[in-house]
Amino acid sequence: MSVQLLLGNDAIALGLTQAGCQVVTAYPGTPSSEILAGVIRYKKKLGLDLYAEWSASEKVAFEVALAASLSGLRAATAMKQVGLNVAADPMFSAAYMGVVGGFVIVPCDDPGPMSSQTEQDSRLLALTAKVPVFDPATPAEALGMAGAALELSERHRLPVMLRPTTRVCHAVQSVAVDNQKVVRRPAAGFKKDPQRWAATPVFRLKLHHELNAKLAAIEAEFNESPLNFSVDCEGGRHYPLGVIAGGVAYQTVRQALTDLGVSVPLLKIGTPFPLPRRRVAEFIAQCGRVLVVEEPDACIELQISDRTRVSGRLDGMVPSAGELTPEILSACLSRCLSACGLSVPPSEDLPLDGLVQSLKIAPRRPRLCPGCSHRSAMYTMKHLFGPNAIYPGDIGCYSLGTNLRAIDTFVDMGAAITLATGFYQAARFTGDHRPIVALIGDSTFLHSGITPLLNAVHTGARFVLLILDNHTTAMTGAQPTPANDFNAEGDLAARIPILDIVRACGVRFTRMADPYEHESFESLLKEAHAFSQAPEGGLAVIIADRPCILYDRSPVEANPIPVAVTAECDGCRYCLEAFECPALVLRPDRSRVDIDARICIDCGQCIDACYKGFIVPKDAALALSGARP
Amino acid sequence: MKDSKLVIAGIGGQGVIFVTKVLAQAGLLRGQPVMASENHGMSQRGGSVMSYVKLGGSEAPLIQRGTADALIALDKGEGIRNLAYVRRGGQVCANSSDGFDDRLAACLAELSIQVHTVDADGLARAAGMLASTNLVVLGFAAACGALDLTVEQLGEAIEALGPARSVPVNLKALEAGAGR
Repeated sequence: MSVQLLLGNDAIALGLTQAGCQVVTAYPGTPSSEILAGVIRYKKKLGLDLYAEWSASEKVAFEVALAASLSGLRAATAMKQVGLNVAADPMFSAAYMGVVGGFVIVPCDDPGPMSSQTEQDSRLLALTAKVPVFDPATPAEALGMAGAALELSERHRLPVMLRPTTRVCHAVQSVAVDNQKVVRRPAAGFKKDPQRWAATPVFRLKLHHELNAKLAAIEAEFNESPLNFSVDCEGGRHYPLGVIAGGVAYQTVRQALTDLGVSVPLLKIGTPFPLPRRRVAEFIAQCGRVLVVEEPDACIELQISDRTRVSGRLDGMVPSAGELTPEILSACLSRCLSACGLSVPPSEDLPLDGLVQSLKIAPRRPRLCPGCSHRSAMYTMKHLFGPNAIYPGDIGCYSLGTNLRAIDTFVDMGAAITLATGFYQAARFTGDHRPIVALIGDSTFLHSGITPLLNAVHTGARFVLLILDNHTTAMTGAQPTPANDFNAEGDLAARIPILDIVRACGVRFTRMADPYEHESFESLLKEAHAFSQAPEGGLAVIIADRPCILYDRSPVEANPIPVAVTAECDGCRYCLEAFECPALVLRPDRSRVDIDARICIDCGQCIDACYKGFIVPKDAALALSGARP
Repeated sequence: MKDSKLVIAGIGGQGVIFVTKVLAQAGLLRGQPVMASENHGMSQRGGSVMSYVKLGGSEAPLIQRGTADALIALDKGEGIRNLAYVRRGGQVCANSSDGFDDRLAACLAELSIQVHTVDADGLARAAGMLASTNLVVLGFAAACGALDLTVEQLGEAIEALGPARSVPVNLKALEAGAGR
């Protein structure tokens, strides 16, 4: 037993491996990405016999792990919450089918959202799919719940969800870790049972009744579970106000009560689905009013059938969008206390808040790194097509191309190609014949761009597709894709070139080019566009090929081009708006732009960013008579 | 040994997360319960980054505005942006070569909030460690008494965290900030 600092995601990884998971799969996505990385680390550290995989998509990840479970092994799959949307198809089906070895799904929710397209609640998908949920409030709880979820899943033979949120995944807590022996389940392999594993609709109905019975049994267990407990609540006493809370919101509301100096009974729900309704009803019966606090949506609250004395998101007491911050919960609690006729401590003024707001400090948005190949590709694309083109985009680092106005849409993974197809088809009715240039990354393309590409070629859609291939899944931490020749554990893997896939999809114009070579890249884009407009032409694909500089700077280091801004710079800021390299910095007096040597990587790409010629190779700058860069 | 609530603010790439790790480790080494909260994802792409560190105290990951004992700002602008977290009587340690912000002086004085600035970029540059501004500010904060931790305790945390090859440079940056 030792006390260690554990990142929430590492606590989950440790819990899964200690409980004997032998197959763990995932697709990268904030805030979940460290889970698989943690599993691989613990595999090495504890000398475990397990298989860890970065799968091509969350659906693939889910299904690979599911087969392991059907073979009798304990298995788990991790993803971000929107990734659960991709894995939802197999999840709904698997709930009916059931499992053999314990099978845990770990979708990580993102209240806010801080880095996602939605702040949807995975517990609600579980509710619809009829999958039980464990909802940890801290990394320490996540560690314990990982094992509990696997055990429940195996005993009742159905998939179970462990649902952490950002403030668990990316929190670091001192946790008492039991260096226990790893549990192993004897697994004999897949046993045929067609009425279950290949169930046709008539058998699906039978399985559905079975699933409902499992849930009822699990709810009965949850009613007695120590994971659902009350605090500051004496049996038999009646209180004007009580709070039911789950997940991080429980911790936040508990702290808010402490800070307000108020004691209110709390019921913590660690298993929000199926809700332990008897437990909840007993608590509500002791309270005049009850406030339900949970995030990012209402799940506990929705399962309470008699809500006459219940407040929460549904009656607007708790905001229905955005993270539940201490300030928000403190205000909710004050309103509820007031409404119940209880005294509310006066709220302290925060004079600094108003003052700082009035200073209007410019928000600092994230930007592409100095030297990013995506910037070069998008800059050249904008240079050629300008603002009068439609740029359906996708999800990855290149999404930051919105700063360059080089991305017009993102919806979900792979949508760049499908939206481009849709815009093309729509143009026959709208008469909007602007060029369409779709942008997608290599990992995103392999995740869910291939089917859209097949569809586009087959239906004769005409546009330019720019695949931004930086050889990795960059935004989430450089995880490998099927186009890499190595896998999650760093071992050799079969490499599938994207060029081959594109050609196999029937594309008749496919070229690869280095986005650093602006002139030739621009000619190629022009040629591609012409092909897409020519009578005998069609969809054209260009693969912008250059590794991510954060993870492989060797091409730049092999050919450094230090630059300088000449004395003639007039501070027009064109380079800052159109190129936006973080190493180009406007002087505080706004008179001119300088190079920030601390972060400039000498890629020389910005030379073309000044159409007036004021950014030059350093040697050239020094050679200019009298001019000091 | 007291409970402390700390807010660390900076720009993605400056090493806010490493400072968070050092503080968490320091808390662990002296047996305090630790709860820290990081912002990942866009961090390395130059956006605003902020983390909360609680040594001792509850398991709540977030810190309410007006309750933090100290704010460590690796970037002055981010420091100002997060100022409202600091409690009455709290402290601010910020990386700046030209003071803080005069428009805030009266309000800060009224709240008895002390602001200490250090030209961490300058010190880091002088010591040949451009990438270690974060630890310079941390060393400075300890030396100012803004943290309930000594420079030695932070040094032990740095040694415990590793990696071994980075420890000497990291310790040097910490000491430079502490004015040694």
